[in-house]
Amino acid sequence: MSISAPRYVQSTVARVGRPWRILAIVEREVVRRATWGPLFAVALTWLIVVLETVVNVYFATVTGGSIGAAFETPYNSVIWVLFLLIVTATVGAGSLADDIGSRSITLYLSRPLRISDYLTAKASAIGTWLLIAGVAPGCVAAAITAALGYVSASAALAAVAGCFAVGLPTAIFFTGVALALSSLTRRSLYAGVGIFGTVLALGVSVGVVAGITGNNDLLYADIATDVQSIGAAAFGLPSPYPTDPVASTVVLALTGCVLALLAWWRLGRIEVVGE
Amino acid sequence: MTGVVDAEAVTKRYGEVLGLNGFSATFGAGITGLVGPNGAGKSTLFRLLAGQLKPDVGRLTLLGHPSWGPGEFRRRVGYCPESPALLDWMTGNDFVTTLLRVDGFSRAEAADRSARAIAEVDLTTDGNRRLRVYSKGMRQRVKIAQCIAHDPEVLLLDEPLNGVDPVGRASLSALMKRLGGAGRHIIVSSHVLYEVERLTDQIVMIANGQAIAQGDLHRIRDLIDTHPHVIDLESSDPRALGRALGGWDHVVSIEFPGPGQLRVLTRSPDTFYASLPELVLTEGLSVRAVRSADDNLDAVFRYLAQERR
Repeated sequence: MSISAPRYVQSTVARVGRPWRILAIVEREVVRRATWGPLFAVALTWLIVVLETVVNVYFATVTGGSIGAAFETPYNSVIWVLFLLIVTATVGAGSLADDIGSRSITLYLSRPLRISDYLTAKASAIGTWLLIAGVAPGCVAAAITAALGYVSASAALAAVAGCFAVGLPTAIFFTGVALALSSLTRRSLYAGVGIFGTVLALGVSVGVVAGITGNNDLLYADIATDVQSIGAAAFGLPSPYPTDPVASTVVLALTGCVLALLAWWRLGRIEVVGE
Repeated sequence: MTGVVDAEAVTKRYGEVLGLNGFSATFGAGITGLVGPNGAGKSTLFRLLAGQLKPDVGRLTLLGHPSWGPGEFRRRVGYCPESPALLDWMTGNDFVTTLLRVDGFSRAEAADRSARAIAEVDLTTDGNRRLRVYSKGMRQRVKIAQCIAHDPEVLLLDEPLNGVDPVGRASLSALMKRLGGAGRHIIVSSHVLYEVERLTDQIVMIANGQAIAQGDLHRIRDLIDTHPHVIDLESSDPRALGRALGGWDHVVSIEFPGPGQLRVLTRSPDTFYASLPELVLTEGLSVRAVRSADDNLDAVFRYLAQERR
């Protein structure tokens, strides 16, 4: 008979796959950001989009105007982009910065979780908020107009598709902006100011430079022009904007993906150092 | 080397500051105490092991895997960071459950394990309160709960008893002993020697980013005892006491720092303490107080650090 020290063997319990592990973070992160700032911005976006759309569609049906133009109206305005920018800044600024600054990122990354998983979770949470703010009200407005009998079901479905066509690339772009700028700092305030400053400064400066030089290609760097261009095409209207809607869609989606990659690259090099 | 943790000349800098400076040690089975004063490099080592820092120089492995970066082997590791930062907007239960789900447990399994872990650290009644209202001791306990909830093979506990009340310390120490007794590998750090002494005899001492002693606690104490110890005495007649003590060959020097005070430097503190009562009785001397200025961890480190120079 021999005596030996016990050797611990971890119990084998079936584990769920990566998507479920990521979902655990997404759920918490979406709830975490449900504070007054984002909720107020989302509520205002809903109010503007739903009210504006329903009223415009009603008048379009009464006056025989263009239904597509009525659905497109909210996206034709800079206000919609501005509210999405507010949602991005309030929801996304602290997404990575808060975790890095407080070092609570350690609690996630000391587990079997890749940085890409963590980033996917964060991106999904920001994206969820942006879709709730950017796409959902348009869809609800379409459903309301159909329910009230202002438009046919097929017209409402076409409007829903239009909302996704505008909202998805915009959400991808803003998610990438939020991730990139949030990964660059440990303070969410700096990231928030950075998100606002970068997008607004870019829009204003390229508008000015494009006006002076007459080079309309520069306007691809202006998110508002891109959204308006995509919006017109998505709702079947002739585009008065100088940018091509397909190219604008690609620019927005690609920029968002590149910025998310930048955040991934940056996170891979971040060390969680003590105070 | 085949330890749970193998460190070979690991150096980590924070700009101009050295976190670890050629740290080499092997942490084997059972409970190992990592002891060192504040700023010695304990937390740096833990952060390196948790994959949050990358060694500048040297090789650091955990369970045979390079410590830097993610990996599935982290399923076998539980990490309780020193940092008080938690996911403060969550309740204690949600916190542990969420991290278990990140570990790959199903929602139901995570909830079940979370409840058990929360109960292990005596937080059941506070489990549904938000972490932001937890006291420091409660935060420490919930950190330990998330660390043990997934039944890890290796526990990295960075100052786990810091801020915990005496009753909590006793119960957490008992928990650690029980986990260690069941065969888990536990690396626990503290800057308070007696806390670690109560948990284990296996010690790694760290100072200035280097392992200055490793092994059985008693051997380390013996090593310390080869150095002269400072002992302060108070007496109504310190000069008479000094004359009597001057006859002992292990007494290196005697000073009179103040009225009624005597400071003795001895090479053999055990002999000193054993012989002092008899001397006092036979010579009729007065001794009001005896204090060892070296009976603390700082002194131990001072000695060992001097030894290395």
